[in-house]
This record gives sequence, C-alpha cells and structure tokens, in this order.
Amino acid sequence: MTDPAMLSLKDAASAIRRRKVSSLELTKALLKRIEAWQPVINAFVRVEADEAIRAARAADRALARGSAKGPLHGVPLAHKDMYYVKGKPAGCGSKVREGFIAPATSTAIAKLEAAGALRLGALHMAEFAYGPTGHNTYLGNACNPWDKSCITGGSSSGSGAAVAARLTPAALGSDTGGSIRLPAHFCGVTGYKPTNGRVSRANALPLSFTLDSVGPLAQTAEDCALIAAAITGPDPLDPTTAGAPAWDARAAKRSPKGLTIGVPTSFYVDDLEADVAAALEAALAEFRKLGARIVKVDLPDQTAVAAAALIVLAVEATACHAPWLRTRAADYGPQVRNRLENGLAYSAVQYLEALRWRGPSLAAHLEAIGKVDVIVAPASRAVAPTIAATDVGAGAGAEAAIQAITRFMRPVNYLGLPALVVPAGQSQQGLPIGLQLIGRPFGDEILMALGAAFQDVTDHHRRIPTLP
Amino acid sequence: MPDQVTPERVAAIAAAARVPIQPGAEARIAQAVGPTAARFAAIDLAMPLEIEPSSFVVVQRAELDR
Repeated sequence: MTDPAMLSLKDAASAIRRRKVSSLELTKALLKRIEAWQPVINAFVRVEADEAIRAARAADRALARGSAKGPLHGVPLAHKDMYYVKGKPAGCGSKVREGFIAPATSTAIAKLEAAGALRLGALHMAEFAYGPTGHNTYLGNACNPWDKSCITGGSSSGSGAAVAARLTPAALGSDTGGSIRLPAHFCGVTGYKPTNGRVSRANALPLSFTLDSVGPLAQTAEDCALIAAAITGPDPLDPTTAGAPAWDARAAKRSPKGLTIGVPTSFYVDDLEADVAAALEAALAEFRKLGARIVKVDLPDQTAVAAAALIVLAVEATACHAPWLRTRAADYGPQVRNRLENGLAYSAVQYLEALRWRGPSLAAHLEAIGKVDVIVAPASRAVAPTIAATDVGAGAGAEAAIQAITRFMRPVNYLGLPALVVPAGQSQQGLPIGLQLIGRPFGDEILMALGAAFQDVTDHHRRIPTLP
Repeated sequence: MPDQVTPERVAAIAAAARVPIQPGAEARIAQAVGPTAARFAAIDLAMPLEIEPSSFVVVQRAELDR
C-alpha cells in the first residue's frame, strides 16, 4: 500500500477512522521520514517521538473501543514553535526565549487536540516570527526541500518545509506579513491565512496584535478546511473573535460556477518572472473552465496600504519587545534587533493614523472590487531565491530586501482579508509557484471551495520533493 | 507636508521610549524607515473626525450581512 506518510490530512484521518491505517503506523512512517529529512532541511526544532508513539497507541486503543475523539482522531501533527502547550518549551526561534516553559496551551492547539490530533514535535521558525526568508542565526536556517540552497520563506519556515517533505500532514503557521503564504509559495504547499478575528490567537506568540493571524499549511485546500473547521470560532481568551461565525463546511464545498474572480490590473502583476506570469495565466484558464467569471479590477494604491501595514507592524512589534530591548538586546539576532529598533522611528500620531485609516482603507477596497468574490494574484513575483542571495543579515539594505520579498503580502494583513495560497506551477528549475486567492472579509469558505475545485483539476499540489 | 526621518528624530523617539539603540544606529534606522514614512505621508488621510481604529471592525462585520 501507499506510504501512510504521503497521505493528505483528509485521507489520513479517513484511513485511521476506517481502520485502513493505524495511528501508530502513520506516526512511525512520519518519524521515519523526519529522521531522513531533518539533517537536510532542519524543519524541526524538537521531535517528540516517544510521546507521539505513546499517544498513537492510545488513539488506536480508543478507536478499538469505538470512541473516536473527533474528525482528526489519531493524526499526528507538528506546529510552529510559537504555539504554547502547557508545560512544554516554546522557543519561538530565539535565544531570548531559551528555557521558556509555556504556562498554558494555545486555543488553536487545544481545539486541534479536541478534534483528536496528536503531536509530533515543534517546527522551526524565524526568530519571533519576524522574518520572511526563513533565516535564523541562532538555530540555523531551515532549507527548502526542493533545493536546499534555497530559502523556505518565513516566518513559518519549518511548517512550509515539513509539509512539503511530507513530515507532517499539516502544520499551524502564523501570518502577520505573509508568514504562512510565503512558505506555502516557496515550498509548494497550500497555506491559509484566515480573516482577522476568525481564529483565536490566545497563547500563541504575538508579533502585531492588529495584524497577527493563525492558520494552517497543508497539502490541499480540503486539508486547510478541515483544520479551519476545528480552530475557527469565538474564544473568550481572544476578544477579537467575539461574534466570529462558525465554519460553514457546506459553503466550503460549493461549486465555483458563478463566482466572479478579479485579476488586478497593476501592482500584483507588475514585474513578474515569466514562469510566475505563465502560472497565473494558466490558472485563470482553469478557473474559466470551472465556470468562474474573470474580470479586471483596479485596486486602490497598494503601496499606500503596504506602508500603513509596515508602520502598524513595526510599532506593535517594538512595543511587544520593548522590555527585552531594554534588558536583553544582545540576545536577539542582528536582523531582528535592527527591525525592532526600526519601530522606534515612528511617532505615536503616525501609528494611530495608520490604525484609523484601516477601516476607510477596507471600505475603499470593497468599493473597488464591487461584487468580485475572489481576487487571484501571485504570492510573489519570483520563485524561491537562494539562502545566500537573501542573507542580508543586519546590513543597510536589509529592510529594502525584506520589503521586496513581502511586497504582495502586506495589504492582505492590513485589510484583514482571508487568503489561500495554492500551488499553481513550477519554474524551469523545478521550484514551486503559488498563487494567492484573496477573499472578502469572512469569505474564507469560498476560498476553500475555489482552491479545492482548482486542485481537483490540477496536480501541482501532488508534486513531492525527493531526498537529495 | 513631507516626512523626513532624520537620525536626530530617531534618537529623540527612542529616548522617549526609554529603549537604548545600538551605537550609531540612528542613521541606519532613518534610512530603513524613510521610504515607508514618506509613502505614508503622501496619503490623503482626510477622514471624518469620528473614525477610530475599531471602525475597521464595523466595516469588516458589515460583510456578514452581505
């Protein structure tokens, strides 16, 4: 039979439920792949093999008694090392957090556990989730499984690399300025950034309380929908989720027929590498065949929106870290320390103007797109660059280099929109290309429906890297 | 009015925040954030007086009734 480690989250959960594969078999298969791949891509910061085996055996016993815990019963997962689990370390990719033991479990993890998911370990990340490339001077870089000389994207570097190499069926990442979508694009997996306010951020590492969002990376849109069904909804520990709608599984399976897809006339289509432009055109042709209507949209100036996003992020990140900048500045990596210092350059009035403008800016965006359901745009103008070429460290050009990589990301965070990155092609060198489907506020389910329909008729998401 | 981020301004805000910066970092920081500050300053931010940060949620939640 197929190696259980290759199964998608949906298929793995189904196989366990129908007792075609045991939780123990799946766990052992994933641990075997982790052992082989970890020296190459450095995707994990901790593998909790013994605990995972024990939990898998318990899950199999429970199933034998007829007591499945939930839709993810017995499926082992690993998550970015910033989701707290009570009593366990959460290093957050930084020396500053060395020795930190989480006092409580994050709501997202608790909800996945309630759905029956198990834990394989913790995944690598950029220091304090503040870096778009995956570089980490303290713990070493995570590497792209398609070409280990290339970046994974960040900050959810381990999540992107581990899902691509089939070391975990899915993984939580976080997205403040593209940290789910960039690794999904560069590593060739599906990544979902929810509408702000749909998923609780409680007891996950904060970076920017306005822009942070919690979401999964997985093989498919259907897998992301499975995770979304488990983790979305109100949480008293995170007031931004008050009144958040429950996941609508039916809407996530609707036909794409009759949907209106908008293609930006500028910004997202400027200066694309030829392979990326070709992938966008090919995807639009598929969406047309699926029955969607394609229209051009003139978005408000996205450089202005991105500037506001950068100010909000810079100031909030610096405010979060100010106590440690006063006492432990030398323990930060040079790039993150510099970026945190950058946040000191903005005035209180600038920051609050950037926050006040968020509502009017979203209103202008919605007016510009009219009845468009989904905007389709590249996730990045290029495929994964090399680690060496993007090793800008703390140099003078670092901020400009970071902004170039995150160019297509920031408006989505500032406007709080949902987005789904789906693999949509590959470059001539074989590196993955992802497109982002950007929805309306709370239109997350439509993204899943469109992504799943696209993946039904394409196979980009089925490509798997081979061990070098 | 254009926004010119100077090393002196950076030093003053950092001091007001009581966050020490690395020796000589003022110029690097001013150069790093200058383009963003200039782009933001060029936006027409004429908004009704009543707009506040949480007005965003009002616009966002209106989509639920769509």
